[in-house]
Amino acid sequence: LISHIGYNKNLFCIPKHYEEDLERVFIPHGLILDRTERLARDIMQDMGSHHIVALCVLKGGYKFFADLLDHIKALNQNGDKSVPITVDFIRIKSYCNDSPTEKISIVGEELCTLNGKGNLFLSLFQDIIETGRTMKALLSKLKDNEPKMVKVVSLLVKRTHRNPGYRPDYIGFEIPDKFVVGYALDYNEYFRDLNHICILKEKAKEKYKI
Amino acid sequence: MWSRLLEQGLYFSFGRIPSLRSLHIGDDEQGYDLDLFCIPKHYADDLEKVYIPHGLIMDRTERLAREIMKGMGGHHIVALCVLKGGYKFFADLLDYIKALNRNSDKSIPMTVDFIRLKSYCNDQSTGDIKVIGGDDLSTLTGKVWFIDIIDTGKTMKTLLSLLKQYNPKMVKVASLLVKRTPRSVGYRPDFVGFEVPDKFVVGYALDYNEYFRDLNHICVISETGKQKYKA
Repeated sequence: LISHIGYNKNLFCIPKHYEEDLERVFIPHGLILDRTERLARDIMQDMGSHHIVALCVLKGGYKFFADLLDHIKALNQNGDKSVPITVDFIRIKSYCNDSPTEKISIVGEELCTLNGKGNLFLSLFQDIIETGRTMKALLSKLKDNEPKMVKVVSLLVKRTHRNPGYRPDYIGFEIPDKFVVGYALDYNEYFRDLNHICILKEKAKEKYKI
Repeated sequence: MWSRLLEQGLYFSFGRIPSLRSLHIGDDEQGYDLDLFCIPKHYADDLEKVYIPHGLIMDRTERLAREIMKGMGGHHIVALCVLKGGYKFFADLLDYIKALNRNSDKSIPMTVDFIRLKSYCNDQSTGDIKVIGGDDLSTLTGKVWFIDIIDTGKTMKTLLSLLKQYNPKMVKVASLLVKRTPRSVGYRPDFVGFEVPDKFVVGYALDYNEYFRDLNHICVISETGKQKYKA
């Protein structure tokens, strides 16, 4: 749980090209990785005997997906038992500037290919849950694939009145309702190449506005 | 014949300038015994050897990141990841580039995108290619990167000619592996991690019918594995 307003950015390494744009470091990269390592263990304990299809929600989910899978692989190659994981990717576009849009578009993957995997246990790797609308839309679409079980793993969940109550199965951090960037989360495609999760300055929002 | 000349040309240049273009793995390289490393239990019977250990991949990738930053000359980069096999290399390469960006005097903004090409069935390249996904490619005003494995080079040639239509400022290709193969069309990427013989390898996001992507070393698959996971 995080309820303070982060760290002074001068205490960390930040790419020079973003120095003027960031207000605070909110969740440092190392902390993200440590929390993710524990999520990996929790997931393996629950799913640990089924073949998992790990579904990455692009683009914002890609870092969390890669790092969480790395931790799961480490458990697999160092434990007594291990579980095969196949991977797949889908794309969801649902933000413009810093607000979730009305329209959610799910792009590009032939999700029907997931059917060939026998017992289908889906793990959805989402970067952030804000209103929960995106996840609800995605979950109903995935129902067509008749998965045996679907679990949603989200790095961040926001405390906001706009969420009608959806809660993922595994959560990295629960955060206040601030617009955050970094660790593959973007503001109009910027800041994905920043490894800490940070809070933007207001003038940066203007600078990169669409 | 062309590919033999290519091979000779490569060996010749490696003789003069050792290891500047890629880490060369010889035809007689057997790889390492599985028991010397940590392997997921569920693949224990499916692999022959560890061919390129994960740590070695990371170290080589770290150097590629430095070469790439030198080669891009200060322009905004669009890093294009070729899914699914490119995703690990892409993520790790970008992590090293980000580390350089936050630890030096100058840094370069990067945006990312993801596309998919499908051209393999079992372990044969089918030669015909579909491109899926990605943003509206007409927004490519900066320089563009691809990150992938090159097998025959046919895939990359197709993709490059597709991208040319959108007039990017510059396109550079970074590939983790380049295979020495008679089926090569002679295409050579701008940045190469390892040059390898014509063996079918898996691991580090490279698959055999979707399996083995969850293996962190690059390995050679065993006959047992090929049969077990056949399409």
